[in-house]
Amino acid sequence: MAYQFHGIKILLIEDNQPMLDLAKSILSTFGVGMVYTAKNGEQGFKTFKETNPDLVIADWMMKPMDGISLTRLIRNDPKSPNQFIPVILMTGFSEKRRVLQARDAGVTEFLVKPFNARDLYRRIVQVIERPRQFVRSDDFFGPDRRRNRNAPFDGPFLRENDYSASSKEPPRLDFTAGPYRRVEVPPE
Amino acid sequence: MPKNPSDIDHYNQHQRIKAEFITPPNVLKSKVGLGGLSEAILDKAQELLENNTVDFLPLAEMYLESLMKGIENSKRINPDDDVESLIISMLYPGMQLKANGGMFHYPLVTKIADKLIQFLEVIEAPDIEVIEIILAFHTTIRAVVLGRIKGDGGRHGAELLDALNEACMRYFDKKPR
Repeated sequence: MAYQFHGIKILLIEDNQPMLDLAKSILSTFGVGMVYTAKNGEQGFKTFKETNPDLVIADWMMKPMDGISLTRLIRNDPKSPNQFIPVILMTGFSEKRRVLQARDAGVTEFLVKPFNARDLYRRIVQVIERPRQFVRSDDFFGPDRRRNRNAPFDGPFLRENDYSASSKEPPRLDFTAGPYRRVEVPPE
Repeated sequence: MPKNPSDIDHYNQHQRIKAEFITPPNVLKSKVGLGGLSEAILDKAQELLENNTVDFLPLAEMYLESLMKGIENSKRINPDDDVESLIISMLYPGMQLKANGGMFHYPLVTKIADKLIQFLEVIEAPDIEVIEIILAFHTTIRAVVLGRIKGDGGRHGAELLDALNEACMRYFDKKPR
């Protein structure tokens, strides 16, 4: 069995023509059925409304509208045909504060340029296989900014009773068992 | 409840922010199915990327010109000018050079521009020393592109990068936070 990408539509938004052509070729090599393109956020949102794709891949820095503003429109504009669509933001920035800025705008995944074909593929796999829950609060709508909300604790075990004293080893977590559940700790 | 507020160790309260959690249908998953892509397809895509024949020079020249405009504007800074906008006017082309260098066979440009971005992300204002350092970055990137130094530039590339690193570190030592 292999992914069947021929049935999906991707909207690719990038103001740098050679980069747009290159990314489009990579997606076509992956077998993506339809790649729509746009040269900035404004055009991108128009195409988004017209085509209702399954995934948006956008550059950050574009004029007159950048990828962050576009993401805000996708998430919050009443004319947006799909507020839940995954958005992968491409950028040369890798500083933590920039990543947080993108996350707070509602970006699903972050792809740092320069990237290779596998980097792009991994981000696409991430949105397919590990989709994020969405959060709606007074001041935010977008993918849950805490990625592993329901994942089991995978940090260091600090107390003796964090795991069986007889084994002296942390319990082995079964990652194949299916969706993770939050473990409720009974009150003491 | 403790009598004195100062005796309270921790509030132990639940979070007050009210949020609704929504699990949207996974449309992508339902369309693509299982299994991933084969290594052969990923190799083919990587090969396509590595063999691209895009000439980076015109792109680089455009971003270097934009960086130079930012430098020139910073030289003429007035007390009323928005410092953040001036820095961003240099950050934007720097980021483009970093992003595109490596995509189009100039990883040394990416490495140098990455240092430029790191520098621009932490400076307070484009003073004369900052401008000199940014000019050095500009000159070096231009030399790499015009010299068609593809790849990492070997020992010479490492020396160029070291010289720029040292200039930045000297500046940070001189102006600690």
